Amino acid sequence: MRLHKKIFKRLILLFMTFWLSGCAHFTKNNLIEEISPITFLSISKGDKGKLKISTILPPLSKEKKIVMSQEVSLLKEGVQKYNLNFYQEIKSGQMRMLVISEELGKDGIMSIINVLLTDPDISLRIYLVIVKGNFEEYLESQLDKDENFDYSFYRMLKHYEEKNQGELTVVNLHEFKNLLYTPYSDPFLPVFKIQEDGVSYEGTALFQDDKLVETISSLDDRIFQLINNDHYLEVLPIPKFEVVLGHVRSKIIVDIDSSYSTMTYTVNIDTRIEEYRGEKQLFDPKELENMKKNIETHLEKQTHELVKKMQELKVDPLQLGVQTKRPFSKPMEEKKWIEMFEKMDIKIKYIINIDSLTDANSKRQNL
Amino acid sequence: METHQLFKKNETYNGLYAMLLVNRLQMLYFFLIMPSILINPYMIWVLIAVGILSQLNLLLLSKWLLTRLSSNGYNGFVQLFGEKLVRFLSFIGLFFILLKLSVITLGFSEIIQTFMFPSTDTNFLVFFIFLFCCYVASKGVEHTIRFVLISFFCTFWMITFFVFFFFPPIAQLSDLYPLIPMDWKVENWKAFFLILSSYSGPEFLVFLGPWLKTNNKTFRYLSYGNALTVVEYVFLFIASLLYFGSNYLSKSKYPIINMARYFQNPVFERIDMVMLSFELFNLVFAVSLFLLLFYGASKIAFGKMSKPSSGKGLLFSVFLIFIGMVLVNELFWKSWEKQNFLLNLQIIAGSISYFLVPLIIVLVMKKKGVKKHAST
Repeated sequence: MRLHKKIFKRLILLFMTFWLSGCAHFTKNNLIEEISPITFLSISKGDKGKLKISTILPPLSKEKKIVMSQEVSLLKEGVQKYNLNFYQEIKSGQMRMLVISEELGKDGIMSIINVLLTDPDISLRIYLVIVKGNFEEYLESQLDKDENFDYSFYRMLKHYEEKNQGELTVVNLHEFKNLLYTPYSDPFLPVFKIQEDGVSYEGTALFQDDKLVETISSLDDRIFQLINNDHYLEVLPIPKFEVVLGHVRSKIIVDIDSSYSTMTYTVNIDTRIEEYRGEKQLFDPKELENMKKNIETHLEKQTHELVKKMQELKVDPLQLGVQTKRPFSKPMEEKKWIEMFEKMDIKIKYIINIDSLTDANSKRQNL
Repeated sequence: METHQLFKKNETYNGLYAMLLVNRLQMLYFFLIMPSILINPYMIWVLIAVGILSQLNLLLLSKWLLTRLSSNGYNGFVQLFGEKLVRFLSFIGLFFILLKLSVITLGFSEIIQTFMFPSTDTNFLVFFIFLFCCYVASKGVEHTIRFVLISFFCTFWMITFFVFFFFPPIAQLSDLYPLIPMDWKVENWKAFFLILSSYSGPEFLVFLGPWLKTNNKTFRYLSYGNALTVVEYVFLFIASLLYFGSNYLSKSKYPIINMARYFQNPVFERIDMVMLSFELFNLVFAVSLFLLLFYGASKIAFGKMSKPSSGKGLLFSVFLIFIGMVLVNELFWKSWEKQNFLLNLQIIAGSISYFLVPLIIVLVMKKKGVKKHAST
């Protein structure tokens, strides 16, 4: 009797381990040699309203990699076509990036986003990226030089996402979806430009709902990082005054009047001068004060233009509309807000707090 | 072979167990889908208000548990209602248990299918869940009640992960606005009853009287359990509001699990799978308890109380429930509209049973003049 019980218990244990390991005949076959967990998909516009999707295969094994492109009318159809054309089965569980072409972005990417959201295999943390230029061609040309191009690209995005490093815009699926679906906000994505020798960060693409309407770059993009995305910049060069501000931290205070006609947007900045090549004597507090004023007006002007542009395009990536929400009143309709936003008088104010130069100035007088 | 004594009573469990029983029976399935039905931030207040209402229910419940009658089990109920009525009531009770069992098991197996085994038939999953439950239930009521400790420690830690959502960049206070309702829609009533039904579960403690050690601290422990649930519900709901924003919340079918998918960990990439697997412990505990109650109730309903309880009888009733559940799965659960009907039915049934069972018992007690610890 005891023996029976012992055997029974062991059998139960064995059965449980068997079940826990997922070794059941009715689950999917995920033998690592037989699948290719793709790391990214690149989607661009094909002929006649079709989508052209491409990726690098095989993503794992040390075989010769190839770029595979398919023209399909539905996104998931592409995955099926890959399976029919490649000896391994495509799995999307390890997908890390989705590269969308600029032209496709201009047409709207709602349907693509919804496909990603519906698939429980696809993580909500995958990065969305807009690319200017022909990404497939670039991939083909890169395969010989840099096999792990996709991985290094992913690491770059991940590096800047974590702890808000403050150089470039990085947006994942969850953030994009939230900005897309909540009222009073519009999503944005990073834009990368394909050049002959590499991929370079161009700026931030602003979306009106799911359609790309504008790309902001250079100083505008820096300002955007500062006031919205990261609230931090490693360096902020202002060539006009031959100065570079470093470790720029910002704090935003938004004030909106009760009639919702004017908004005061105050940006408090803490920074220090990292480089100066001009003629002024920045050791002199007065001169420093002057410089500060100059930078403030310059940034105010630039930011004002940027916000003006947003108003004209009716996009609100800064989520200014959220400021109208109150704990004890009914939120206004999004349409009404957009109408108001268009006409709103937005005043920009910068308050800069600069640490003076700590080391010697090359043009000190008494030297 | 030793005879199975499923309902024998060797020891009684103290207030801690009562607290855990209340808490775990309230955290079964509905809390996973609750945010997508509550949607509006002001529902936080409703959650708290219904929690207080549930506290009153527990007060009534503890009144019953304090009587000698409750510790007499079946005989106590017979003294209270008379045998015929008890048989009739337990017959009705069978449907309530069956409904609750179906909703929590099928709901859970559908979640497992969606997120873990997309190509597996849910009937298989139900089968395996039942296999484990059968094992637990065959150990008898005593051990099943003791299992609540395991189930609690396997599942409670998960909620601490959700603290992550309360910090920026995800948390924005404006996601919680407006805090007071501006207009009350019809859907909000559904949400209200869903909350009421989510709090249901402790009414089954009525039948566990013989195994609970009761004293004047019992109500306090029951309240702790209930309060813990309120905290958990509010915490999860606020977290989901911060994560999704109230506009997207209604579009997500399993908000809590989708939130868990957002966690990242360098070791386990899909923490949600680990969490879901652990959540099964809670399900297995509840289902085994309900299986035992079902078996007991069917014995009463069909007048077989004189026969000793046996493992075979339990197995037979589990088999019947399994068949019933597969039928419910095929006929109702798999199509979305009918599933909704079943969910609504459970929402109503849960609310009714939680509201009426303690109330009726206490009213009858008053009428019959049963007093605390009075020997009858």
